[in-house]
Amino acid sequence: MKNLNRVGPMLVMGAATLYFLVPIWWLVVAASKTRSQFSSTDPLWFADFALIDNLKELLAYRDGVFLRWMLNSVVYTGGAALLGTLLAAMCGYALAKYRFWGREAIFNVILSGVLVPATALALPLFLIFSQFEATNTFWSVFLPSLVNPFGVYLARIYATASVPDELLEAARLDGSGEIRTFFTVSSKLMFPALVTIFLFHFVAVWNNFLLPLIMLGEEKLFPVTLGLYTWNTQVNQIPELRMLVLTGALVSIVPLVIAFLLLQRFWRNGLGSGAIK
Amino acid sequence: MRMRSLSVVLASALALGACSSTDSSEGGDPAAAGNCAPSTGNVTLTYTTWIPGIDKVVKLWNDKNPNIQVKVQTGPNGNGGTYANFFNQIKAGNTPDLGHIEYDALPSFRVQDGLANLAGCGEVTAAKDQFVDWTWGQVTFGEQDSVYGVPQDAGPMALFYRKDLFEKNNIPVPTTWAEYAAAAEKVKAAGGYITNFSQSDINQFAGLSWQAGGRWFANDGAKWTVNLQDEGTTKVADYWQGLIDKKLVSSVPPWTTEWDNAYNKGNAWTWVSAVWGANSIISGAPDTKGKWAVAPMPQWTAGDAKAGNWGGSATAVFKNSKHPYEAAKFALWLNTSEEALTALNSEAQLYPATKAGAKLPALTEGVEFYGGQKIYDVFATASTQVAADFVWGPTMTSTYATASDGFKSAVSGSGTLLDALKTTQTKTVENLKSQSIPVAE
Amino acid sequence: MKANKKALLFFILPFGLLFAAFYLAPIGYAIKQSLYQVERKGTFGKAQEVFGGLAQYQRVFTDGPFWESIGRVLLFGVVQVPVMLGLALALALLLDSGLVKGRRFFRLAFFVPYAIPGVVAAIMWGFLYSPNLSPFTAVTSAADLLSADLVLWSMANVVTWVYVGYNMLIIYSSLLAIPQEVYEAAKIDGAGALRTAWSIKIPLVMPAIVLTTVFSIIGTLQLLAEPAVFRTFSSAVSSTYTPNLTVYSTSSIPNFNLAAAFSVVLAMATCLLSFAFLKLTQRGGDK
Repeated sequence: MKNLNRVGPMLVMGAATLYFLVPIWWLVVAASKTRSQFSSTDPLWFADFALIDNLKELLAYRDGVFLRWMLNSVVYTGGAALLGTLLAAMCGYALAKYRFWGREAIFNVILSGVLVPATALALPLFLIFSQFEATNTFWSVFLPSLVNPFGVYLARIYATASVPDELLEAARLDGSGEIRTFFTVSSKLMFPALVTIFLFHFVAVWNNFLLPLIMLGEEKLFPVTLGLYTWNTQVNQIPELRMLVLTGALVSIVPLVIAFLLLQRFWRNGLGSGAIK
Repeated sequence: MRMRSLSVVLASALALGACSSTDSSEGGDPAAAGNCAPSTGNVTLTYTTWIPGIDKVVKLWNDKNPNIQVKVQTGPNGNGGTYANFFNQIKAGNTPDLGHIEYDALPSFRVQDGLANLAGCGEVTAAKDQFVDWTWGQVTFGEQDSVYGVPQDAGPMALFYRKDLFEKNNIPVPTTWAEYAAAAEKVKAAGGYITNFSQSDINQFAGLSWQAGGRWFANDGAKWTVNLQDEGTTKVADYWQGLIDKKLVSSVPPWTTEWDNAYNKGNAWTWVSAVWGANSIISGAPDTKGKWAVAPMPQWTAGDAKAGNWGGSATAVFKNSKHPYEAAKFALWLNTSEEALTALNSEAQLYPATKAGAKLPALTEGVEFYGGQKIYDVFATASTQVAADFVWGPTMTSTYATASDGFKSAVSGSGTLLDALKTTQTKTVENLKSQSIPVAE
Repeated sequence: MKANKKALLFFILPFGLLFAAFYLAPIGYAIKQSLYQVERKGTFGKAQEVFGGLAQYQRVFTDGPFWESIGRVLLFGVVQVPVMLGLALALALLLDSGLVKGRRFFRLAFFVPYAIPGVVAAIMWGFLYSPNLSPFTAVTSAADLLSADLVLWSMANVVTWVYVGYNMLIIYSSLLAIPQEVYEAAKIDGAGALRTAWSIKIPLVMPAIVLTTVFSIIGTLQLLAEPAVFRTFSSAVSSTYTPNLTVYSTSSIPNFNLAAAFSVVLAMATCLLSFAFLKLTQRGGDK
C-alpha cells in the first residue's frame, strides 16, 4: 500500500524531470554535432562527436571574442548583483526598521518601479547617458543594472520578519552605532534573504539584453546574451554561426548552473522569504 | 532633506531632456551641401557596420593611412537593432562618423536629418561615373546636389534553378513569368514546389515589383506619394497570389533551418534571388552541390531585359561627424578601390556597386558549386538592367512590418496579398502623418 | 524605531540616488516625450519637437493593433499563469509530501531552465518546434506549433518551462517554513496527505502564491524576448504581437514620442492590473 502510494508521485516527478531536462539534453547533443549532421541526424542522440571542435572554433572565432563576452557577463552580473544586493538590503532594512516621515511613500514609489516596462526605461536612459557622453561604456550598462526595486521589497519584508526590534535596542544600549549594528548583527540575520536577492538580481541582469543592445556599440563590451543575439541575426549571412550560437548557448548556461549548485544550500531556504509575512 | 535631493536629481534630468530637444531643432538649411573641408592633424573615425570580417578590410586602410585611423564598431544587423541605435544616436547627437545603411533605410535617416550631404566633397561627386547608374540614384534620391552616402554593394536579381531536376523532368527553363507559372504546375506534378514564397521578406517582393515597373514611393520636394497598389505591384501580387492559391509554392519562413532544408532536400526547385543568394544556397543547401544553375530573371513581356534588385547598401557619413572629408575619403576607398572590394568580396561576399567591381577576378571565374558556370556574368548583366528611378519611403521599417504581417496571413489563407498591400498603403500614409511628414493622399 | 538622520541617509541614499537617476528620471523623461510631437516642412524638412498635449495618447487609444496586443497578452496570462502556478504548486506539494525520493535532484532539475536567458530559451524551443528538426516529430507533424492558432501557446510553453521551477521553489520554501506543530495537530485530527495539503498547506502558502501571481502578471504584460525571437521563425508573430514589442518597433521607426506614450500607457495598465489583483486577494483573505 505504502509503495503504491509512492508510484504516482514518482511518475509525476519523472515526467516533470523529462519536461525540464530534455530540451537541455537536446542542446548538449546539438552542440556536439557538425553543421551538416545537425539537421540530418537524430536530434536527441549523438552523431560524430564534434563538441571539442565546436568549442575550439567558438573560442577562436574573431580572436576569442566569445570568451571576452563571458567575462563581461560575469563582471556585469556578478558585480551588479553583489553591489545591488547590498544597496537594496540597506534600503529595505531602513524602510523596515526605522520610522520616519514619508516612509510608505518612498516604499510605494520604489515598489511601483517593478512595474515599469524595460522598453520604457532603456531609451530615455540612453539619451540621459548621451548627455554625459557615457554611452558605449562599461558604466552605461553597469550602473543602471545596480538598481533592483524588487530586492528592496524582499529586504524590507525579510528584515521585518527576522531582525527583532529588541535586538537593535540592545545593540544601541551597548553603544553600537546603527551602521555598525547593520553590518555586524542585522545583515547576518538577513543572510538567507540576501542570497535570494542576489540570485534574483543575478538572473535578471544575466537575462537583460535590451539595455546593452541599446547602449553598446563596442563589441568588446558586450555581455554574452547580446553577443549571441548579434550572431543569431547574422546567421543568414554566415551560416557557420549557427553551430557557434548553439555551442555558445550551452557554454553560457554553465556558469549559472554552477552558481546554482554552489549556492543551493542558501536558495532552497531563502527563496520563500519574500512571501513570509 | 532626502526628498529634496531626489527632486533635484529629477529636475535636472528633466532639464537634460529639455536640452536635448532644443539640440535637435537647430541646424541649417537641409538642402545645402555640407561643408567638406579637410581637418588638420590626425583623425580617428568611428565606423559602425555588421559586415563580417570588416576588421581585416579596415586594417588595410589603417596600415596605409596613419593620419586617418578608422575604428570599427559592430552590432546586430540593421533591423535587428543597429538602425534603432543609429536613430537614438542621431537624437542624442553622438553617432559614429560612418555607418552601414541599406538603400531602403537611407531615406528614413535623411528624414531624421541624420546624414551629411557629401555633394560638397569634390572627390565624391567626381566618382559618380564609377558606380552603376541605379546605385547612384539610391544615394542621391535623384536630386541635384545631394549625395547621402557612397554606394557599397548591390543585389541584382536572377533565377537560381535546379538544373538537374529541370532536365530530368524535361521542363524548359522559364524565360517569362507565364512560362514560370507553367513550369510550377509541372514541378508540382513531379512532387516539388517551384519555389518558396517568402512571406516575411518584403524586400524580395519589392525587387519583383521593381522589375515589373512598380514604384512604391515618390516625392516632389513638397509631398511624398505612396503607391503600393500601382499597376506593376498589383500585377506581381496577383501573380503570386495565383501560385499560392493553387498551392504551387511552399511558404516556409525564410532564413530558418527549415527553409534551408527545403532547398537542401530538393523540395524547392528555384529561387528568384539576388547575387548574394549564391552563397546562401552554397551554405544552406550543401547537399545540392553541382545541381544548380543561374538564368536571367523571367520577364513579363517576352524579349524584355529587365531585372529587379534585392538588397544592397551604402556607407553613409553622419551629419554629426566632425571629419566629413576624411570620412568620405575612407568611404570612397572602401567602395571603389580594388583592394577593398576584393577584400569585402572574399570576407563577406559583397557584390560591388561599381562598374569596375563586376570585373574582379573572383567575379569572373566559374563557380564550382554551380557546375563551373560563370554565374556572376548573369548578375553583371542584370545589374545594368535595373531601373534607376525606384525610390524608397522614409518609414520602410513599419511599411515592411505591416506588409509582412499581411503577407503572413495571406499565405496562411486569410486575405490576399492585395489586401495586405491595401492595408500597408493605409498604414504607411497614417505613419507618415503621425510623424508629420507631408504626404499626398 | 527612531533613527538618527545620518544612519538613515547612509542606508537609503545610495539606492535612492541610483533609483532616481535610473528609474525616476527616465520615466519622467518618457512622460515628457509622450506629450510632444514632431513637426516638419517639406519631404525632407527639418524636424521640430513641439508640445502636442495629449495628441500621442489619442493615437494610442485609437491604435487597434496595440489594444489587440494587450488583449492577446491578457488571454495569454489568463491561461498561462494559472497553468504554470498550478504546476508549480503541485510539484512543490509533492516535494513536500514525503512521498518522493531524491528531492535534491528534482529541485535542481526543475530549477535549471531558470538559468537559461529568455533569448536563448526561445532560440532553443524554436528548433524544438520546427517541423523538420524537432525530436518530437509525432507532435510537430500533427500540428504546426508555429502557426497563427498555436504560436501563442507555444510561447506560453517556453515561459512555463523557464519559470515553473522558480515559482515552485518560492512556494516550496514557504512550505518548509511551516512549523512542524501545525502538522502534528493535523495528524491527531486524522487528516490524510491530500486533506492536509488542501486545508493546511495551501492556505498557509497563499502569500507566496499571491506574490508569484503578481510577478507573473507583470512578466506577462512585458513579454518581449520570446516574441522577438519567435518572429524570426514563425510567420504568425507580427511586429505588434505584444505591447512591449509594439513599443520597441515604434521607437525604431523612429517615432519616439508615440513609443513613449505607448510605454506610459503600458506601465499604467500593469500597475492597474497588479493592484487590482492584490486588492482582490486581500479582500478574499480578510473574510
